[in-house]
Amino acid sequence: MERITLEIDGKKVKAEEGMTLLQAAESIGVEIPTLCHHEDLEPYGACRLCTVEIIKSERTRLVAACCYPVENGLIVKTDSERVNKIRKMILELLLPLAPTGPLMTLATKYGLCEYVKKSEEESEWKVKEFRFPAEEPTYCTLCGLCVRYCAEVTKENVIGFIGRGIDRQVALVPGKCCISCRECESICEGGKFMDKFVSLLEL
Amino acid sequence: MKREKTKSHFIGLRVTKKQKEVLSKIQEKSDLSKTDILLKGLEILDEYYSLGLDRPPLSYELKELEEEAMHHSEELKRIRRREESIREMVQELRDIDEVIDKHQGDKSALIQILLEIQSRNHWLPKPALMWVSERLNVPMSQILHIATFYKAFSLKPRGKHLVRVCLGTACHVRGGQRILEEAERVLGIKAGETTPDHRFTLESVNCLGCCALGPVMIVDDEYHGKLAPSKIGKILSNHT
Amino acid sequence: MGKIKSASELSKLRQKILSKRDPKKPCITICSGTGCHAYASEKVSNAFQEELKKQKLEKAVDIKRTGCHGFCEKGPIVVIYPKEICYLQVKPEDVTDIVSQTIKEGKIVGRLLYTDPHTNEKIVHESEIPFYKHQKRLIFGNNRKIDPKNIEDYIALGGYKALAKVLFELTPKQVLEEVKKASLRGRGGGGFPAGRKWETTRNANGEPKYVIVNCDEGDPGAYMDRSLMEGNPHSILEGFIIGAYAIGSHEGFIYVRQEYPLAVENTEIAIHQAEEYGLLGEDIIGSGFGFNVKIHRGAGAFVSGESSALVSAIEGKVGEPKPKYIHTAVKGLWGKPTCLNNVETWANVPFIIDNGAEWFKSLGTSNSKGTKIFSLVGKVNNTGLVEVPMGMSLREIIYDIGGGIPNGKKLKAVQTGGPSGGVIPKSLIDTPVDFDELAKLDSMMGSGGMIVMDTDTCMVDIARYFVKFLSEESCGKCVPCREGLRHMLRLLNNITSGKGNAGDIERLEELSEFTRDASLCALGTTAPNPVLSTLKYFRNEYEAHINEKRCPASVCRELIAYYIDPEKCQACGICTKNCPTGAISGKKGIVHVIDQKKCIKCGACIDVCPERFGAIEKISGESIPLVPKSMKVKSIR
Repeated sequence: MERITLEIDGKKVKAEEGMTLLQAAESIGVEIPTLCHHEDLEPYGACRLCTVEIIKSERTRLVAACCYPVENGLIVKTDSERVNKIRKMILELLLPLAPTGPLMTLATKYGLCEYVKKSEEESEWKVKEFRFPAEEPTYCTLCGLCVRYCAEVTKENVIGFIGRGIDRQVALVPGKCCISCRECESICEGGKFMDKFVSLLEL
Repeated sequence: MKREKTKSHFIGLRVTKKQKEVLSKIQEKSDLSKTDILLKGLEILDEYYSLGLDRPPLSYELKELEEEAMHHSEELKRIRRREESIREMVQELRDIDEVIDKHQGDKSALIQILLEIQSRNHWLPKPALMWVSERLNVPMSQILHIATFYKAFSLKPRGKHLVRVCLGTACHVRGGQRILEEAERVLGIKAGETTPDHRFTLESVNCLGCCALGPVMIVDDEYHGKLAPSKIGKILSNHT
Repeated sequence: MGKIKSASELSKLRQKILSKRDPKKPCITICSGTGCHAYASEKVSNAFQEELKKQKLEKAVDIKRTGCHGFCEKGPIVVIYPKEICYLQVKPEDVTDIVSQTIKEGKIVGRLLYTDPHTNEKIVHESEIPFYKHQKRLIFGNNRKIDPKNIEDYIALGGYKALAKVLFELTPKQVLEEVKKASLRGRGGGGFPAGRKWETTRNANGEPKYVIVNCDEGDPGAYMDRSLMEGNPHSILEGFIIGAYAIGSHEGFIYVRQEYPLAVENTEIAIHQAEEYGLLGEDIIGSGFGFNVKIHRGAGAFVSGESSALVSAIEGKVGEPKPKYIHTAVKGLWGKPTCLNNVETWANVPFIIDNGAEWFKSLGTSNSKGTKIFSLVGKVNNTGLVEVPMGMSLREIIYDIGGGIPNGKKLKAVQTGGPSGGVIPKSLIDTPVDFDELAKLDSMMGSGGMIVMDTDTCMVDIARYFVKFLSEESCGKCVPCREGLRHMLRLLNNITSGKGNAGDIERLEELSEFTRDASLCALGTTAPNPVLSTLKYFRNEYEAHINEKRCPASVCRELIAYYIDPEKCQACGICTKNCPTGAISGKKGIVHVIDQKKCIKCGACIDVCPERFGAIEKISGESIPLVPKSMKVKSIR
């Protein structure tokens, strides 16, 4: 395997050919936030939270770190102002759709909400007003983790996507027998599956 | 037991005049074959005679016979309908097999196969999709995603006539939106829907390539160009 | 018909075909593209057939149903050879006159000729009509001479000569160098140098290599590829085979939109005939090079025209884009090197081979060589498909070829590049059509759609139109495109319906920047262009909508009111009869008044009000003047 040298946040990194920027960053302890990424699944590149800035031959580009392969001489910035602006906007757009724990935890870093202590035992989430409100929270960020897990790992293909654009949804395939492994429940960050396992949309 | 003189005929068999009346009435009301009626009818009459009863009062006879005949007729109809639908289903599956075999069962031809099924049936029935999933060994989730992703496919039966209004940029600039709204108003449905009587399905399209004719609406294969909203009602009423 | 097994056999066949054709024999050509078909050109063709039979002329006169002529405003177009007499807007009722007068007696039917709108001069020959005179119809010109369902027409014009030259006189590398030298840039929108793409595919690791023709023309208002595919499929096939030879591919796909059934039909026939003649398939022209082509139809999704989505669709999966950090030229169909080019790009290739790269470079500008076909549509007199050398100015195209703006209106802007492009205001109308010049103005050449807009067009409404289109066509996979467009549409809907607030423009700009920077594919990254472009040149219109609740072009429904001018109304009552909601009241001799509560702003009244009165107008941003009840009409002379 060829060794590739690149620079992440000012640090030199030695990576192997075929690695993604996300993996290379992980190897030196640089954390890039992700939502639709999972180590057992093929990179998807849909949430765009892992967007990073790269400089190659003096041209700057914004790419998804989970999909972009390492290249020699690449300069990567995972925490620049431009990148953080994008991440903040993504969370601002997703929170009204799925105001749940995992997303809120991520959103505190961008000042979109805070975890406030009400009393000794009780704390709660306080969210700043939504600039882009949703009609009703769907508790689904359309990250596709459940669909992809059911397709690639358990290979049951019981849940899938239907529709396109803003009509895109996750749905239960009619007539399919689910093996009730409940992996989709544990992998879901948007909250769709919390206590709502059976109430998926039936076609 | 006295039997009346059998002076009438019902499909060549000698029956009494009254019996013929009853049998003919039953035949009128059901679609059983004459033989069926006769057999059933005579069977019932025989029952009465075997019970030692003189021929039953006519009205009673008629009513009971009618009910029996109707019941049998409904049964037969139900059986025939099931037969018919099974035959249709088998034929549909055979049709789908034909399409799949034409593409040598190649998974990558999935969209092409679905397009052919859609154009034959004017929609994609769920059993058809399940059969395609079986034969091509492609998960149903993928087929459903494709069927709901593309505009060409419909998971619900479409109307007899497909009305498409062009909303391409050139037509938009010439007032295409008004044409669509008028069509929606006239048909009482929104774009993408089918009228309750299944006569029309209304859709919007992006560029039919007849920009010189804009704004354009096609009903099945008939093009109507340089439209004003006032003309739409008349065009649609011409299609039954 | 046996398969052609050598270049000389092809030449001999060509000679044979030409010798059987008498150039002096009268031939009636009828344009049969989808556009003219919508005008019932088939009825005209059938009428000719019947009339010739009736007059016992079927043997003496040929009929040819040709590809699209491009002058779609004036279809159906009939051109009579050998004199090249051009008749426009021909109806089946005109056929008897044409046969009796022009065919039999050599006389011209004056009423069917083109009339110059300024000089009233009648023009007889097609090539002299101003619409055609200013064009350079290299790629498109042959459409009118070819019956697309007959390969011999194409061969007779010199078709497949370039292919024979390539297979027998040039190595694949030489072909590649020639195309690179010609600086042919992709005609599908990206403008990427085709030669370089071919080279990357050729040099990439992996077998087999694939080539694809992208005929998923999705830009609303653009139909150049369709007319080429329907009208002259062999020109694309020939370029395709040449490209495959240069790249080293033996399997190709033609991806056609589902909405183009005639293009699919004619291409299927072309492929079948080319295979019969040995010009496609195994051992092409006896050279040993084999290449097979399959047609793949789309199913109604604009996003599937994006290269990674198209590749997915051909693989039988959903046509959704994938993050494309490795080019399809390196890893495409089934992970193999795949070269995808637009229909028009492939169609340019035989010309480059026939005439040489130097000749090709002599046309166009320094960075954009050759010609480009545009679909000139919208508020322009001569709607149709035009082919011009790169570098011609927009002004020349709109006025010299397009004949200017109809109904005495004035030009406001031109939209180029479809939903990924932008608007170019009247003040910049002397910009030459060139990949880089248009990009400098924050628009783009795109696939060639050129929508002309007059002063009755609202630019905010145009931005809303494009954002609505894109939000419906977005695959919905990535957050920036799906959510960004959703909220941009919401904002634009609010602005155009009078519910805009201060700060909306800034929010639109913020969302635009976000969607442009972070989206997964080119649909998302270019989606904000119409918004940003209209904001750049027409910001005042946005501000009027928001601050004054006024639509300067009087288009946005909720911001306008229809008003009958009491000074002009003559109480003819036509508007009352045509109003679908009965909102107009008035009697004979009394000025008619529109009840604003019932008015649905459909515009039927303004359409039917007689031109000599012109009493109905749209007002925006002002309150509707009160009209005294039962006001008597003012008589006009």
